[in-house]
Formats: sequence, C-alpha cells, structure tokens
Amino acid sequence: MKRFKVDFKKLLLAEQVFKDILNKNGSSHLNACVRCGLCGQSCHIYLAEPVVQNLPVSKAQQVSALFRRYHTLSGKLFPLLVGAKEFSEESLNELAESVFERCTGCGRCSINCSIGVDVASIVRMGRNILASIEEIPSELHDTTQNQLQTGNQMSITEQELNDTALWIADDLRMETGVEEIKIPVDQVGAKILYLVNPREVKFFPLSLSAAAAIFASAKESWTIASRFFDVTNYGFFSGDNKSAAIITNNIFEEAKKLQVQEIVLSECGHGFRAFRWEGANWLERKYPIPVRSVLELILEYIKDERITLDKSKNNIKVTLHDPCNLVRWGGVISPQREILAAAVMDFVEMIPNREQNFCCGGGGGMLAISECGERRIKSGKIKADQIRNTKAKIVATPCHNCADQLLELNKKYALGIEIQSISELVFNALKWITK
Amino acid sequence: MQVEGKDILFDKDGFMTEPSLWNEIVAKSIAKEEGIEEMTEEHWKVVNFIRNYWKENNLAPAVRLVCQEAGIGVRQLYKLFTSGPARGACRVAGLPKPDGCV
Repeated sequence: MKRFKVDFKKLLLAEQVFKDILNKNGSSHLNACVRCGLCGQSCHIYLAEPVVQNLPVSKAQQVSALFRRYHTLSGKLFPLLVGAKEFSEESLNELAESVFERCTGCGRCSINCSIGVDVASIVRMGRNILASIEEIPSELHDTTQNQLQTGNQMSITEQELNDTALWIADDLRMETGVEEIKIPVDQVGAKILYLVNPREVKFFPLSLSAAAAIFASAKESWTIASRFFDVTNYGFFSGDNKSAAIITNNIFEEAKKLQVQEIVLSECGHGFRAFRWEGANWLERKYPIPVRSVLELILEYIKDERITLDKSKNNIKVTLHDPCNLVRWGGVISPQREILAAAVMDFVEMIPNREQNFCCGGGGGMLAISECGERRIKSGKIKADQIRNTKAKIVATPCHNCADQLLELNKKYALGIEIQSISELVFNALKWITK
Repeated sequence: MQVEGKDILFDKDGFMTEPSLWNEIVAKSIAKEEGIEEMTEEHWKVVNFIRNYWKENNLAPAVRLVCQEAGIGVRQLYKLFTSGPARGACRVAGLPKPDGCV
C-alpha cells in the first residue's frame, strides 16, 4: 500500500479508537508477550520468508508499542526503554505494512502461542486503528464501498442477479432433467434466506447451481435476495467495524422484509466468521433469527435422509482445505468431514489439518490486494506442498476466497488438481437426479 | 513485457496497469502465460466481448453474459480459461483486476 500522510487530526482519531476498542481482555493480551519468538514456526508467511518483520510477534509489536506509550506508566515515563512508540506518520505507515501486507489474520499464531496470547486479534486492532483514519489498502476500501453502495462487493445489479438466477436454473434443469429445480428470488415467506458470495454470481456459478439442486432435492423452502444477497463482509477485512455493522444490519433488515426464519450462509470463510460470530458484537444486540453455514444444513439433510447420496459417483481421491475463518476461528470443523464421508469414495486429510491447518495464503483480504501478489504465491507454497503430499486430484474447500488462491497455486506450482466446493461434490453424488 | 517497442506493465497479480495499451499481440502473450498456446475463435469471442463490455461499463461482465454472448456453457469457459473468467479471461482481455474475492 502507498505511503500516506498523517495530520494532527488523524493522530488524535487513531489514539481515540485505541481507547474505544480496548477492554480488559485486550489490554492483558497487549502486555503479555514474553518475546519467545516461537510463533514464527506457526506462521506461513514467516516460514516462507523468515525475516524478523514477518514474525507474528513483530507484527503484534507494532500495535503493543503504541499501547504501551499511552496506557502503561513505564511507557509514559520511559518510552525508549520499554520500546513504546508514539502515534506518528512513521509508526502508522509501519503499522499498515505489518497488519495488511504481512498478515492474513489466520490466527494460527494465536492458538500456538506458548503463553496463550491472541496475537492475531492484536494485529486486528492495528487494522481497526488504520480504518479509523481511513488508511486501508485501496482494494479493500473500494470493495467495502461497493458493498455499502450497491449491496454487494462486485456491484452486481438486481437485474443481473435475477437474470443469472434464471440462467443457472435453466441450465440445471436441462442438465438434470429435474423440472422442480428453481432459484427463487425475493420470495416473501420462504423459510431460508440463502446468502451467496458474489463471486458465485459473477464468475463461478457452479456452487450456487449445486446448492439449488441440493435444496430442490431436500424440498427446501428458500430464497435469495436481489439486493442484499452477499455473504461477504469487506468491512471486516478492512478493520472497519462501522461499515461491517451496516453490512450485517442490511442483511437482517432484508431477512425481516422477506419474513424468513433462518439465514444460511454459503461456503465462505470470512463471511461465516463475520455473520455468525462477529456481527452480533458490531450490532451490540442479539440476532433475531438463527444463522448457520450451509455445511451444517447439508449434514442435517443427510442425517434426516432428506437427501440421499451415492458416493461411488465421486471416485477420484479428494482432500480438504480448512479455511481459517470457518474452521480455526469459526468452529465448523466436523460437518464438512461428515459430509465428505458420505459423498466421496476416497478421502485423505492433508497434514496438518482442522484448527492446525495452514492458511492458503490468500486470507484476510490479501487475495484482493494486488501489492501482495508475490507474497501470496510465495507463502502459499506450504499449502501447495501439503496438497501435493496427499496425492489427491480434487481439493474440496468451503470458501471462495481460498478457492481462488488454490486455483493460482495450482497454476504456479503445477499441482494438476481441480478445486471444488463441498456443495459441488454433494450435487455430483445426489441420488435422485439422473445425469 | 515488450510489445512493438512499448513496455507493457503489470501489477503484482499480473493484471495490466495501463489497459489502454492492450492489443491482440499483448492478449496472445498473456494467454501464453495462462497456458493457452493458440487463441482459438472461441477464446477471441470471449476476450473481445469482455473487452468491449468493460469499455462501455467500466466493469467486468457477469459470467452469464460471457457464456450467452460466446454461445458456450460455463464448464467450457473454464476449459478455455483454466484460471477462470476473472484471473484468466479478464486478464487476457487486458482489464484491471476486478474487485473482491477474485
């Protein structure tokens, strides 16, 4: 990101937001690091590029040095002795480079810290500070603005959403011969509001198509919305909690208008974390209706025998990539595994996996930031090696952001794999559909 | 990349930083990076439609329009451009990187 100028007003703003986001929990984490440096081994960016600036502790230090200057006695009296830093153009530019370009916020350092410091959340505070003075990478800023102004991150019009829904449903009916398949839009009184990643509408519709077939098979009552259909939240990536709250609220207003009973999130890592876990904190109220991942819903269909699968239709070896925001942060760990056990013949875990899985390299908004292109590919080598070691030919991943990074890793490291969503594999195994 | 004596610059994601310098030779060179040895008529249909749509709307077109205009199915589009419509076809068409999760 380009170097930015900071005036006095911005310095005051930055200092103020620091006070606003601090609580007892955060303060103790900020002051607890013993600088053992072991976090380096947990970080895919440090492992790919082992320089001191890439140590998770160094990134967190950019935030804690500012904290110490204003919120500890020793930092106020002897800043140089305790490594405390003032808010300045220099320190804020260094902070931006650390928290946006050297960290995907994957949180692997947090769960592996020797004394339990939540390093990734400290880094996130750095993003909060920078968002408050509107100094975030332009790609994250523009994408957030798209969401605020048009309702979705890719500025897809309501007309286009409607036309695409018709087109996908037409193709699907032709492919399967199942007349009941449709993609309802703005259907008042449907049971479920299904949120999708705009990437599914604009570029990669096969996952939405698969979900529509699964819903038809389960005889589900569902709808998408023509305006607020977006499962993502770029306010969250930006550290811009105010925008994140507006984006969350828009969806609940839409749900109210459509009188749905539940919101179901398509396969999206950060979207799940933002809507399922962070949103209620931003809105400072309890959600009126439940929110869950489509993975949890598909597993319910399988258990309740609302859909039946013939896994012999998926006979190519499959491995699974765990999106950090869904798995490590979000706690959705077993549904995708139980689904794959029912949907594919030959499944192999990559190592490490579940909450210890490595980031794909494109998380935390880094996929969108062009400046990070090289680092993304370099730090994705760990993931590429993990995949190659499984000898699987299909990598399933319940996240569109990860899927795009994996596509690139496939190209750059010549992995010879195919990347699919869980829904696509389930659709492929659906029993009542004759293909 | 040098084409007809001009330096063609790319961002770190491989998208053109000066889309106005795009021409068919540039497209072929980017396509080579994508593993497309020969741009077929179908490739050109997709690329030219994306290019023209972008010039008019300052946005990449939705995949529905691309498929319908080029008269191909979505799976065929992924075969033509293995990196997909955004990082594959839009990049060959000389567009700047689309916003969001791509």
